[in-house]
Amino acid sequence: MDEQKTTGIQRSSTRTKRVRKKKKNQLPFGIAVLVLAIIFGILLGTKNQGMPIFWITGLAFGYILQRSRFCFTASMRDPFLTGSTSLTRTVLTAFAITTIGFAAIKYGAFIKGLPIPGQSYVVPISFATAAGAFMFGVGMVIAGGCASGTLMRVGEGFTMQILSLFFFIIGSLWGAHDFGWWKLNVILKGKAVFLPDVFGWIGAVIIQLLIIAMLWIAADKWENRKNLT
Amino acid sequence: MKEVELDCLGEACPIPLVKAENKLKEMEIGDVLIVQIDHSCAMKNVPEWARKEGHNVEVEEIDDGEWEIIIEKVK
Repeated sequence: MDEQKTTGIQRSSTRTKRVRKKKKNQLPFGIAVLVLAIIFGILLGTKNQGMPIFWITGLAFGYILQRSRFCFTASMRDPFLTGSTSLTRTVLTAFAITTIGFAAIKYGAFIKGLPIPGQSYVVPISFATAAGAFMFGVGMVIAGGCASGTLMRVGEGFTMQILSLFFFIIGSLWGAHDFGWWKLNVILKGKAVFLPDVFGWIGAVIIQLLIIAMLWIAADKWENRKNLT
Repeated sequence: MKEVELDCLGEACPIPLVKAENKLKEMEIGDVLIVQIDHSCAMKNVPEWARKEGHNVEVEEIDDGEWEIIIEKVK
């Protein structure tokens, strides 16, 4: 992203003469926040050994999300809106990396005979998955961000998304309230599939990576098709 | 040459993009569109779209968290 101070595009004289507000130096604030973050991390460490790790991971995740302008909403929306799939392919690349990482963690526990972590997230696929995905998709495009995106932009000080966050919490509470009904009537009627049970560990990783690669190629084709027209 | 300002301050992505798309359609070749935004996501997808369409694009940070995207319509 090239952010230039002077513009090469010819602009009318009235605008270029406009006096710019001098930017405040934010460095002292940055250092203060960093010191507070470290103190808070140490305090967390005295309460619970694991907490500082979550604190550091959370801060790192937020920082990377914000600086990279990463947006899950845009990755799903821009292919339809602008034909751009750069973020779509980024998300697919991230999925490919996490596929390998999670498979390694799970397989590591499996060969040691330990309980495989995260197996409680292997839940049945059903109509509820599709219905929920559809509603979430409509909601996130209107709200201007998914869960992580909304949190990140509240942190940036974007006022409208404080409203999004408020209703996101209300929606989550409502969802939690009715989850029992969905689980009993819809979700439990589906079938839970854990890919390594079906294809073996190597097979599952290869198949998942192949599907991601196919989606990546499709996304790339979609973007270039739009360029030609 | 006409210069049009488009105030998208406070608008979440993708509204600035859609507004810019519609505005640029009704403008003449050589006109300049200035989109004012304060949503970091629009800072990415508006220039990306405009560059892909083949227009001249520049981004200027006018204040902390406030940007002007200057688009010159070339076709």
